[in-house]
Amino acid sequence: MDRLIYTQLAGLEAAMARQNATAQNLSNANTPGYRADQSSFASIYVNGAQETSRVAPKKSSDTPDMTSGAVQTTGRNLDIALEGDALLAVQQPGAGEGYTRRGDLQINSSGTLTTGDGFVVLGQQGPVTLPPAQSVSIDSQGNVLVVPPGGDPSQPQVVDQIKLVSPAGKALNKATNGLLVAANGVLPDDPDARVQSGALEGSNVSVTGTLVSMIDASRNWDSQLKMIGVTRDMDTSGTGLMKISG
Amino acid sequence: MTNAALNVARTGLDAENLRMQVIANNLANVNTTGFKRARANFETLAYQAMIPAGTQSSTQNTYATGLSLGTGVAALGTASDQTQGTFQNTGNPLDVAINGAGYFQVQMPNGTTAYTRAGNFSLSATGTLVTADGKPIIPQIQIPTGAQSVTIAPDGTVSAVIAGTATPSVIGQLQTATFVNPQGLQDVGNNMLTATAASGAPQVGQPGTSNNGLLQAGTLEASNVNVVQELVDMIETQRAYEVNSKMIQATDDMMKNANQQI
Repeated sequence: MDRLIYTQLAGLEAAMARQNATAQNLSNANTPGYRADQSSFASIYVNGAQETSRVAPKKSSDTPDMTSGAVQTTGRNLDIALEGDALLAVQQPGAGEGYTRRGDLQINSSGTLTTGDGFVVLGQQGPVTLPPAQSVSIDSQGNVLVVPPGGDPSQPQVVDQIKLVSPAGKALNKATNGLLVAANGVLPDDPDARVQSGALEGSNVSVTGTLVSMIDASRNWDSQLKMIGVTRDMDTSGTGLMKISG
Repeated sequence: MTNAALNVARTGLDAENLRMQVIANNLANVNTTGFKRARANFETLAYQAMIPAGTQSSTQNTYATGLSLGTGVAALGTASDQTQGTFQNTGNPLDVAINGAGYFQVQMPNGTTAYTRAGNFSLSATGTLVTADGKPIIPQIQIPTGAQSVTIAPDGTVSAVIAGTATPSVIGQLQTATFVNPQGLQDVGNNMLTATAASGAPQVGQPGTSNNGLLQAGTLEASNVNVVQELVDMIETQRAYEVNSKMIQATDDMMKNANQQI
């Protein structure tokens, strides 16, 4: 049997992998701060004695798409939308820093500032811990302002400054917990980063782009299947020729 | 298989989507003082010259037209419409509208200067002339305590009648700024615009001099959004969106045909 069918199998798997990435993006179309995954494929050359025998596709790692998503004004004190390409630094469970664009901040039971999916936000020296307060707000430079109980609401005090970094042209990848990580080490602080308070950035999944990818991948899948059918027919007629009747 | 027609139609959908957002913003701000409506500008994306026109088709002849394939549309920018909005008479002496070119200068909290057409001013607790959200006007006008009425003259002179005097005394002088390219000003929210490299440097002057327009107190400039124009644009955008999605449907059918019939 011809090995042609294995090349088509690789093609089928590539089409399915692309469909998986598309489904993943579409399901996260409403997750705040989600960055769409862009799947990429590489060709694997199988070289014969004198010529290239086959070329099969193989999935390479996904890269996150860093375009900005739509910003929605929510009016909530702790919602921040990062301007430009700034990233919010959060603590990676274990060790190290992760980065995210998800700005729906909350205060957890131990008084630490966390993102909406539970990652602890980093300030200038470690996690941002807040004292008991009447109200908490964040200004455009990332300073966390609190009004202590019984204090004057028009005179909030600066407690800490959220660590905002800029990717500065470095490659970012997604870790298994969804946080963005720099390819090597930690990203530098960005003193010019600004946030918009009371607004939230949505996911940057482009619904039209995802639908077009979905149609593409479906038709690709159909083509590969058709090729498998053709290969099977070739094989059947080939073995039919060699059949000994009787 | 990546079908080129699919991707081209997808750029069309994205562009119409963006235009819809611009129209939605215009309609949302139909009652915002001093708002200038925006218009989305589109441009064609790069063409692939498969056969450049003029290449040799045989030893004696050249191609008359060549084969160029377009790759779609992209949004180039949003241009603001500088038409003056209609004036609304409010009767409030601190409401000012500029009749002609010019912007009021406002002091932003971070020290930079912003510009605005919205002249709905108020007095702060200390008597300074400020915008509705408390940002002081440049040059700073300080109304003394005990002033009974404040008048802003068309040339920008601010005068007030102090209790105990008969004639009004001049307190300060409002100045406006004009730009070579006002469309190049950057909207930063809160009705404020900032100068950029595209707008040119501000030319500050007294209202009525050079090309600064005269002020009109007791009036506010309404937004220049024409609702009928926006609705027509909206219908246009919607139909363009539909036609592009029809394109995607048709291309999908063609690919299905290729897969199933052949």
